[in-house]
Amino acid sequence: MKLITTGVLARLLATTLLATTLLATTAARAEDMVFTSWGGTTQEAQTKSWAEPFTAASGIKVMQDGPTDYGKLKAMVDAGSVNWDVVDVEMDFAIKAAKDGLLEPIDFAAVPKADLDPRFTTDHAVGSFYYSFVLAWNKGAVSGDPAGWADMFDTKKFPGKRTFYKWSAPGVIEIALLADGVPADKLYPLDLDRAFKKLDTIKSDIVWWGGGAESQQLIASGEATFGQLWNGRVFALEKDGADVGVSWNQNLTAADVLVVPKGAKNKDAAMKFLAAASSPAGQAKFAEASGYAPVNTKAKAEMPADAVKALPDAHVDGQINLDMNYWAEHRDEIATRWYAWQAK
Amino acid sequence: MPAGLNGLLPALVLIVLFFVVPVLALLLRSVTEPEPGLQNYAALLGDGTYARVFFNTFLVASVVTIVTVLVAFPVAWMLAIMPSALASIVFGVIILSMWTNLLTRTYAWMVLLQRTGVINRTLMAAGIIDQPLPLINNLTGVTIGMVYIMLPFMILPLVGTLRAIDPMTLRAAALCGASPFQAFRRILLPLSLPGVAAGGLMVFVMSLGYFVTPALLGGTSNMMLAEMIAQMIQSLLNWGLGSAAAFILLVVTMALYALQLRLVGARRISGGA
Repeated sequence: MKLITTGVLARLLATTLLATTLLATTAARAEDMVFTSWGGTTQEAQTKSWAEPFTAASGIKVMQDGPTDYGKLKAMVDAGSVNWDVVDVEMDFAIKAAKDGLLEPIDFAAVPKADLDPRFTTDHAVGSFYYSFVLAWNKGAVSGDPAGWADMFDTKKFPGKRTFYKWSAPGVIEIALLADGVPADKLYPLDLDRAFKKLDTIKSDIVWWGGGAESQQLIASGEATFGQLWNGRVFALEKDGADVGVSWNQNLTAADVLVVPKGAKNKDAAMKFLAAASSPAGQAKFAEASGYAPVNTKAKAEMPADAVKALPDAHVDGQINLDMNYWAEHRDEIATRWYAWQAK
Repeated sequence: MPAGLNGLLPALVLIVLFFVVPVLALLLRSVTEPEPGLQNYAALLGDGTYARVFFNTFLVASVVTIVTVLVAFPVAWMLAIMPSALASIVFGVIILSMWTNLLTRTYAWMVLLQRTGVINRTLMAAGIIDQPLPLINNLTGVTIGMVYIMLPFMILPLVGTLRAIDPMTLRAAALCGASPFQAFRRILLPLSLPGVAAGGLMVFVMSLGYFVTPALLGGTSNMMLAEMIAQMIQSLLNWGLGSAAAFILLVVTMALYALQLRLVGARRISGGA
C-alpha cells in the first residue's frame, strides 16, 4: 500500500476524471463546438434553424447536447472543465449566473447588437427566443372552454387534473395571484403567502410537468385536462393535429437566452454561433418552426404572415411580462419555499 | 503481509478511488460550502420539509421492499422446483427485463397506469369501475414501478437459498401431519430467511437512493430524498446542502446495514448460510 502515495492517487483521480469528460463530449475538435438546450421539439428547431445553416456557412461543426442542467453547468465551471460552449437557459438564471461569475461576457464586436430586443440582451446573454405561458386544454376532456387562469382553480366548473410547471420558475406563482384577483400591475413584489394559499386549494388536483415533452404528453393523452404550457409546445401539438384548445388571456411572457459558460473551450466559435442564432434569418426560421417569438426586431419581416400570427406578440392584449430581474434577485428564496411547499 | 493480500490490491485501489475519495469529497463539501461549519446540517435537521422527505424515503423503500418480497417469493419458489430447462427460460425472461433501459421501462408504466392508460381503460370498459383509479403520481405508482424494477434483485438471491433447501424436509413435514401452510411457516420460511434478508436488504438500500422512477411515477407530495438532493444541486445550486443531505442518507443506510449484520449475521446475508 505504501506505493500508492497521495500524489499518485491524485494524479490517477485526475486522469480518470479527464478521461470521463473526454468520453462524455466525444472530444470536440479545435473549431467544433457544443450547443446545449432543452431537447424535444424546441432543440430540433434550433438545430435546423441555427446549427445546420451555421455549419454550412462556417464549416464549424455544432454538436448537440442536453438537456440544460444548471447544476452541471456550475460543476463544469467550478472544475475548470467546460464542455458546453453555448447553452440555452432561462433568463432569470442567466442574470443570477452572471452575478455568480459563471458566464463569459458576450463579445458584441462579434455579435451585432443593434437589432436585438434590449429586453432580452444583457452583458452576458443574447436572447434565444421569448415565449408565453398559455392556458391549453384537451378539447375532448373538457366540457366548455376555460377562459382564463381563474378557471384552473375552479374544480367544480372544471374537474380533473390540471398541470403546472414543476420547477421553481417565473409563472405559477403569478398565475395563482392573478387567479386570486391580484391586478397585473400589482404582481410584484410577489405575495408568496397569498400565492401558496391559493395553490393549496387545488394542490391534490395538480400533476406537475418537468419538461416540455411531458406537458404535451399530459394534455394530448387527457391525463391532465388542462394546464399551463409553453406556447411553442401547444403550437407543436396543434401542428401534429392534437385536439387542443388554447387561451391567450393574460398570457405570461418569459425568455430563454443563450449564454457562454465561463471557460468555454471554443469561445470564438461560440460567439460566431450567437451571431448566427440571433440574426434576423436565424430568428425568423426558428420562430416559424417553433411558434416562439424572435428576439431580433428585424426577424418578423422575413416570416410568412400566418407564422407571425402564431407568435406571442400577436397576443399583446392583456399580455403580462414576467419580471426576470425580480426573479433573479429572489430566485433562491422563492425556490426554497416552493420545494418545501411541494413536498408538503 | 499474507500473499493473498497482494491480489486484493487492485480491488482496494478501485474502492478507494471510486468510493472512499468521492465520499470524503462529499463530506468535505457539506462542511465547507458556502462557508466552513455545520450550518448545512443544522439547516437540514431544523427543517420540517427535510424530515418529511426523509420519512417518505424510508416509507417508500419499506413498502417497496415488503411488496417485492411478497411477489418474489412465489416466483422464486416456482423457479427452484421447476425442471431446470424451463427454469432457465424463465430466468432468461427475468434477466432480459434488466437489460432494457430503465427510463423506457418506467415510461411504459406511465402508459399503463395513467388515467387514460391501458389498465384504467380496460377496467372501465369491463364496467368494473366508473372513475379511473389514481394509479400514478402517487405512492401506488411509485410502488408498482419500483417493485417491478427491484424484483430480479430479490428473486435471484432467493432462488439460490430455496434451491439449497432439501425438498425432503417438506415431505417429512407433510408425513408428520403438517398442513401445507404449517410446512411453509415452520420449515420453508425459516430456512429461506437468509435469502429473504439478503435480497430485502439489497432492495431496501437501492430503493433509498432511487431517482428516476419516483420522479416520473410519483407526485411531489411523496417526494423522495434523491429528488430533493437533485433540486438542491440543479435548481438551487446549493451543493453544500445537497452534499449534507446525501451524507446523512449514507450514514443512516450504513447504520441500518450494520444493524442487520448484527441481527442476521454477515455470513447469512452474503448467502453463505
